[in-house]
Amino acid sequence: MMKGQTGATGRPHMTSTHYSIFSVLREALRGHTGWGPAWRNAEPKPDYDVVIIGGGGHGLSTAYYLAKNYGPLRIAVLEKGWIGGGNVGRNTTIVRSNYLLPGNIPFYELSMKLWEGLEQDLNYNAMVSQRGVLNLYHSDAQRDAFARRGNAMRLHGVDAVLLDQAAVRKMVPFLDFDNGRFPIHGGLLQPRGGTVRHDAVAWGYARGADRLGVDIIQNCEVKGFIRDGGRVTGVETSRGLIGAKKIAMAVAGSSSRVAAMAGLRLPIESHVLQAFVTEGLKPFIDGVVTFGAGHFYISQSDKGGLVFGGDLDGYNSYAQRGNMPVVEDVCEGGMALMPRIGRVRLLRHWGGIMDMSMDGSPIIDKTPVDGLYLNSGWCYGGFKATPASGYCFAHLIARDAPHPVAAAYRLDRFATGHAIDEKGMGPQPNLH
Amino acid sequence: MADHILTPSSAFMDWHPPATPKLAASARETLTMASFAAARGKEQALREAISAAYGAVLPKSAGRVEAGGIAFVWAGPDQWLAITEHEGARDLEAELKEKLTGIASVVDQSDSRVVVRISGSRARSVLAKGVPIDLHPRAFAPGSVAITHASHVGIILWQVDDAPTYEAAMFRSYADSFAHWLFEAAAEYVSAQP
Amino acid sequence: MRIACPHCGERSLDEFLYSGDATVKRPDFAGTTAMDDFVTYTFERTNPPGPHRELWYHAAGCHAWLVVTRNVSTHAVASVELARDVALAAKSATKDSAS
Repeated sequence: MMKGQTGATGRPHMTSTHYSIFSVLREALRGHTGWGPAWRNAEPKPDYDVVIIGGGGHGLSTAYYLAKNYGPLRIAVLEKGWIGGGNVGRNTTIVRSNYLLPGNIPFYELSMKLWEGLEQDLNYNAMVSQRGVLNLYHSDAQRDAFARRGNAMRLHGVDAVLLDQAAVRKMVPFLDFDNGRFPIHGGLLQPRGGTVRHDAVAWGYARGADRLGVDIIQNCEVKGFIRDGGRVTGVETSRGLIGAKKIAMAVAGSSSRVAAMAGLRLPIESHVLQAFVTEGLKPFIDGVVTFGAGHFYISQSDKGGLVFGGDLDGYNSYAQRGNMPVVEDVCEGGMALMPRIGRVRLLRHWGGIMDMSMDGSPIIDKTPVDGLYLNSGWCYGGFKATPASGYCFAHLIARDAPHPVAAAYRLDRFATGHAIDEKGMGPQPNLH
Repeated sequence: MADHILTPSSAFMDWHPPATPKLAASARETLTMASFAAARGKEQALREAISAAYGAVLPKSAGRVEAGGIAFVWAGPDQWLAITEHEGARDLEAELKEKLTGIASVVDQSDSRVVVRISGSRARSVLAKGVPIDLHPRAFAPGSVAITHASHVGIILWQVDDAPTYEAAMFRSYADSFAHWLFEAAAEYVSAQP
Repeated sequence: MRIACPHCGERSLDEFLYSGDATVKRPDFAGTTAMDDFVTYTFERTNPPGPHRELWYHAAGCHAWLVVTRNVSTHAVASVELARDVALAAKSATKDSAS
């Protein structure tokens, strides 16, 4: 148990209880009066070994794995808003590792394996649910492409099953299989894929990092970098100057503006992606289903709401809200796939800002500025990457060398011709 | 080698237009059409040639004029569509090419586009279901033209009269999709007829 | 968000295609730094959170290319110009400075 241990900061931890059936029983008998906060609301200290900018999923997991695997280190996570208030709480909660390219598969599979052990590791219920991710195909050519993808996955030790129409019918009988334009011929299933409760991921990592002595500092906006020659030595924040030996950026959605403070111009555009949740319904969609003939994907949350989304709006945006044409497009995709959702009422819908990189793949690398590390370009696939992103970023920060499964995510890969372009769209961020 | 004789056929596979006093649709498939665009620096010469030949003043922006039985429809910056009935095997492409030699490029559009006419007091309500522009009389009136789309099908839309009567020109291969949308949009007004 | 096309008037977003940052300029392919210049031109973007000059194509309308200045944090469109006019103005400005 962590309780009573002395953290790397030299201060005893007074907060969170170890969660177990016994603590639940004990608290039930005490009227739940003994639960402490899951993590401390830390005050900034004058300096740290590592300052991580961004208290989202990736920043918190970076802090957690840095403290766990490379400590003792004095680590702070600076969050402009509050924990769980950014993109980690603004996504469709899907986890999968059904990638095609060698630069991607081992990374996302590491992430999947970390998801599988996450709750035990963090002692936190993140509602990891491996309910399966099914990508539908609608033509012979698309089946062949999915067979290739499935083979690539299996060659990398990832689970993949190519299903014919009868097998898909058995799983999701209510789809419009005989649609004149987009008949469903089958699907590529990753049984280990699924969903994870997104805020619980942020809270779980925050608690885990806090228990290892990490200072999580909320309402702390970075306003600039302090430099000494070619090196960063700290950050100016809304809560004063904070010195650091190393500074790590994990601010996907805002990477360009934070990097600009350090004089960097990134291969990234910010775009808005919308997502939707309906009223709660009785369970009828077991896993995650994606339409292969348009941009639409759907799953059902444990509360019963249908969670679905589609394509980017397609223009640069920091506005956290989208426009009607994509709403219409997503709904048309949904109606083509499963007409029965036509009369379901929408409960809420939102827009999140994506760090769209020029090849659709992320960047985990050192920057040309000494002491400054970059984790960015997650496009709309950042949530599933949360554990591996932090795991590999922590490795990079601690060792000054990339983790082997993230070695391809270099900042200079565009200049050297090593782009990782899963979609084959070229440098058009809105098409990835 | 056998002779391949092409016979004209309708662009519509399934054509059952509304025909009520408040809403009627018809397909105009016997038109001759040609598009033309001024050669570089010849905009003024083109205007003068059209004016001399047909007595028409070409609209500078989205608009439509009729002169000598021909409708001139603005079809984008510095380009127009000329439309008339195919009577007596009239061929607008040949006619315009002769009159506009050296001042404009002329391309036959007769077999590329179909014009659908929609009229009656319900026409505006039906179009409003698929066209993302304001069709209120203060914004769109006889003589107005808009290049836009209706339920994903690209169209050039214009208003002919105050009935109101509208016409939409679209590529032939999309005509059936357009008709499918139109009949579905019109259904409530057709079945509601007393 | 609606865009006022100089030819067609204010139109719905679904008539337009987005074509990205209008401030990047194709470098001289014969220059001594052409390789680096093309990497910058092709892949790097300023991606500012405020006003952004960008190219739009009126695909389902008059087919004009437009240069739109838009605040990407609010989606408010400040101005819409024909890309042709912008290009011609840039060309004549270059000519003036050369003479």
